[in-house]
Amino acid sequence: MHGISATHDVTHLLAQWANGDERALEDLTPLVYKELRRLAASHLRKERKSHTLQPTALVHEAYLRLVDQSNPRWENRSHFYGIAARLMRQILVEHARRKQADKRAARTVSLEHALNFGQERRRDLIALDNALTALEKTDPRKCKAVELRYFGGFSMDEVAQALDVSAVTVRRDLRMAETWLHREMQRG
Amino acid sequence: MDQRWTQVADLFHRVLECDPSRRAALLDEACKGNAELRKEVEGLLSFEASASDHVQAAVRTEIADFGFSLGVGEIVSHYRILSALGIGGMGLVYSAEDIKLGRRVALKFLPEESAKDPAALARFEREARAASALEHPNICPIYEFGEHDGQPFLVMQLLEGKTLRELLDDRRSRASDSNSSGKAGNQASLPVKQVLDIAIQIADGLDAAHQKGIIHRDIKPANIFISNQGQGKILDFGLAKLAAGASDPLETTEGNLSIADVGPNSKRSESASQDPLLSRTGVAMGTAGYMSPEQARGEKLDARTDLFSFGLVLYEMATGRRAFVGDTGPVLHAAILGDTPIPVRQLNPELPVSLESIVSKAIEKERSARYQTAAELRAELESLQHKLGPKRLPRIWVSGFVAAAIIVFGSILFILNKPPKTVSVAPEIRLRQLTTNSDENPVFGGAISPDGKYLAYSDARGMHVKVIHSGETRTIAQPEELKNGRMKWAVVAWFPDSARFLANSYRPIEGDEWSSATASIWTVSASSVVPTKLREQAFGCAVSPDGSTISFAANRGKLGEREIWLMGPDGKDTREIYQAKDGSGTDCWVWSPDGKHYLYVARDESGDRGFSQNVAGGLPVTILGPSELEKSNDIVWLHDGRVVYDQREASTDACNYWIARFDLDSGKRIEEPRRLTNWPNFCVSSGSVSRDDKRLVFEQFSGSCTSYISDLQGEGSRIRNVKEFTFNGDCAVGWSSDSRAVVVGQTRGDTYRLFRQSLDSDTPEPLAPVMAGDLYGLGTMTPDGNWHIFQIWREQVGTQQVSFPLATMRVPTNGGPGETVLRTSLPAMVSCARLPSRTCVIAEKSNDRKQMMLSSFDPLNGRGSELARFDLGQDLDSFLIGVICQVSPDGERLAIARSSQGPIEIYTLRGQLIGKVPTHSPFKLVWLTWAADQKGLFITAKGGNGDELSYADLRGNSNSLRRCVGDNNCFGFPSPDGRHLAITDRNHSTSMWMMENF
Repeated sequence: MHGISATHDVTHLLAQWANGDERALEDLTPLVYKELRRLAASHLRKERKSHTLQPTALVHEAYLRLVDQSNPRWENRSHFYGIAARLMRQILVEHARRKQADKRAARTVSLEHALNFGQERRRDLIALDNALTALEKTDPRKCKAVELRYFGGFSMDEVAQALDVSAVTVRRDLRMAETWLHREMQRG
Repeated sequence: MDQRWTQVADLFHRVLECDPSRRAALLDEACKGNAELRKEVEGLLSFEASASDHVQAAVRTEIADFGFSLGVGEIVSHYRILSALGIGGMGLVYSAEDIKLGRRVALKFLPEESAKDPAALARFEREARAASALEHPNICPIYEFGEHDGQPFLVMQLLEGKTLRELLDDRRSRASDSNSSGKAGNQASLPVKQVLDIAIQIADGLDAAHQKGIIHRDIKPANIFISNQGQGKILDFGLAKLAAGASDPLETTEGNLSIADVGPNSKRSESASQDPLLSRTGVAMGTAGYMSPEQARGEKLDARTDLFSFGLVLYEMATGRRAFVGDTGPVLHAAILGDTPIPVRQLNPELPVSLESIVSKAIEKERSARYQTAAELRAELESLQHKLGPKRLPRIWVSGFVAAAIIVFGSILFILNKPPKTVSVAPEIRLRQLTTNSDENPVFGGAISPDGKYLAYSDARGMHVKVIHSGETRTIAQPEELKNGRMKWAVVAWFPDSARFLANSYRPIEGDEWSSATASIWTVSASSVVPTKLREQAFGCAVSPDGSTISFAANRGKLGEREIWLMGPDGKDTREIYQAKDGSGTDCWVWSPDGKHYLYVARDESGDRGFSQNVAGGLPVTILGPSELEKSNDIVWLHDGRVVYDQREASTDACNYWIARFDLDSGKRIEEPRRLTNWPNFCVSSGSVSRDDKRLVFEQFSGSCTSYISDLQGEGSRIRNVKEFTFNGDCAVGWSSDSRAVVVGQTRGDTYRLFRQSLDSDTPEPLAPVMAGDLYGLGTMTPDGNWHIFQIWREQVGTQQVSFPLATMRVPTNGGPGETVLRTSLPAMVSCARLPSRTCVIAEKSNDRKQMMLSSFDPLNGRGSELARFDLGQDLDSFLIGVICQVSPDGERLAIARSSQGPIEIYTLRGQLIGKVPTHSPFKLVWLTWAADQKGLFITAKGGNGDELSYADLRGNSNSLRRCVGDNNCFGFPSPDGRHLAITDRNHSTSMWMMENF
């Protein structure tokens, strides 16, 4: 997973996906998945003392590791940013869904209830994903801002650049979007 | 983007960006005539405060989870993941294989957040450990705690079966599938027999935990597991408190909870905010339905909270319905506090009346109106079960005798009369722990009354009589003349009237616990105040089946007692019936249940043999030979003629009961032995049986090590960061030369093996393959770092006595089988210095036991030239090992003890005294090791409060490091670089248990 070829693969596959090749996503997902998992685990190890896990930093790091920044095909940087963030979102949501399905499958295993620790943890990410999908219909830019910021791990300035708006606007977009998403998630 | 959305967003930002004092005015103005807009914006604003955190948290939690997605085959610590069992509320549960022990376990990950509150986690761990330490069959044991990438997990028994929740849900869904009968509630309930069976088991588990001061706080069907064999197990002791995520300052400062803490008058505070069910709405729904009124009110809790919750579980089992229902926490709270549930028989008319009254009493809102103890509740359930249950077929009794239970400590008996005419298929054996003795206060001796109602037992605090069905316990007063001595009691046997029992008082002498020389015989009436002394310098053995005669042993010799006598129950009319020949000895003589034979063990140099001898005379017949007796610790003669005896298994730490039938006159086996039990890791003794053969009571003992690694500070005089290091009861016994790994000895029954475990890894590497025997104390390492040197002995189970010869072994430090360097028939101890010194020495007791000889030691050639001799004090015999001599790491000095009372003396290798380390009385040395800089010593000694590990400089300034749990088995030893101190604490705990349905 490390080294040039993986980086190259990811960049290449991202480009294919961006061009509408859905099969590229199938190849892409396991690569990114693995790297993200490794990073998530190592971050937890590193940060367990401070108990902070910055999702933004994490996904951004994964992205930096996986994507060849100097690839000339990425002339439209903002488009690329968007693709990378969307991919991260998709992977995480996929993970959450799979876990939930595992959980349902595990219902047949007798120990499952026994070993439950208190109340079921809600899969908030699935609720967030649903809310984001709804938000996209009303206000695609705000949805994009959230994706870029939290799933892409981009800085405010980068988000602003990608969306071609000012940093102030991004800040306001996020504030509104987060509030709305929060409400939707609570309703969910 | 629609206009309305833009309008909302615009106003949203304007409100947020204006001065808070002007917000209301702004909204008024902007929403004139547009109530809907106002509602929308105000609604949104109410979610603004922590919105960003929530969104980020959703992503973060998923990423965290992502990081912990263990796949099949992955290794966590020394566990290999087999499959995901499910997602618990707070994390994943996997089934896994313990690579070290080869058993299957469940790995349950705790929420990441729980790691943030180490105090809460530590408390949970303590409670869970305490609950597991009960080894109660109705409590699911937790084997180990670990951490994987910052996420704490626990390792528990992997159970096959269902939770009671699932069992009830299954029942309910089946009932609703066929609800045409209109009796859904009824059908969703469990059969009464099953209700009682489960309830009694759970009450039993709760009783054991409560007695130990552990409250569950979250008893509910999902926390009760029913194995495929029908065994009920309580899950997750201590977890409810952890879920609260709050530390209770009173608890965190307390080391242990005492029984008093859970009693009705508990002073322990437990405020509302600390209760998980109240402080966390997220947790409330799953559990709120089973909380007690005091829990709902946020009051302090005692054990009775569990009894209420358990009452609700009972309600649900009996009716298929929850007693309290409500969609929200507040509604449920109100119901629990104010509503009286529909009486169970209105929902299920088939229930017995008394079950309704049991349930009603269990769920009384007022604590004082409920059952006060789990034992009380269990007793009522049991008596109901007894009334309903089918009567067992009467066994064929041998003859018209009324026999007392027969017990022999650390020895034998057996035999029979007639084979049974029917062979009953034994239903599942039921085990119940009758006492919960702490590690410091083990049971020593106990017996069930012939009528099966009482348990008499003795421990360090005296003699007690327990009413088995209620758990009520009375302590027998200490006679005046024994009040000041260090006397201990040992209950021996009941008289056939179930009103009196026989006991010995004795002064414990280590290594020789049972000597008639220091014992006296007493009879104790269960109802009277003080015991009556019958005889001194004698050791009571048994009461004849008719109650007319007592047998006792006297005149202790080298190989046991030399004389056996009989006397009347008043101590009069004594007569000698046996005198051991020279070079032999015996233990107690007891009667066969029909009173026609004596059964006893005789011992000579060739080993122990079990004999039967007709009371009328004639020659004794050998029943069991040395090879059989060697593995047995406990033999109980049933009144139906069969014999239940234990056999120690070489490959495990277990002793299991077997059942067989012997012919007393010929010594032949009439019925082949059949294994009765399948216990994992404990051994038994002091078995006794009720007259109806239904209840077998025995002493259970198990030993296990806890090892810790700590940092040494203050020039090695203080320890910090004490961390538990090894698991599964294995002992750390040495260091690697680079100070980065410890050597761990894993003892399983008659064998041991060695591992090397690095300080920064969880996976042990094998160091030496399985070898016979057991490690004594600690190892040492040769200065060249090539060999670990260990001493191996064979522990007689339960006695802790060292038997000789003692083998001194060398084990290559880079791994490989151990080889014997030399054997000694008297106590010996090897110790080595570190490079640049090349010194290793062996200290041995001289044949006359009056001196300690010091010789050089070579791992290949064994003993070298003699270096010095020291005169020893007599009391050194009471050491476990018998000599104490350690060479300093620089190879220049020796620390020796010539008397266990101290002082510790410092000598040159040539025997020249150069200093004394004064000791404080009371003091009795157990072990010592040098500090790595040889400026001080780590000393384990018995003081007024048990064994204690301390650091002392060479002037005697000492600093206590740790109170040990174990007795004579606690060692501190520094890493060669002096940075860490490893501590090994091996304890043996002993309680009384009862087996039924065998």
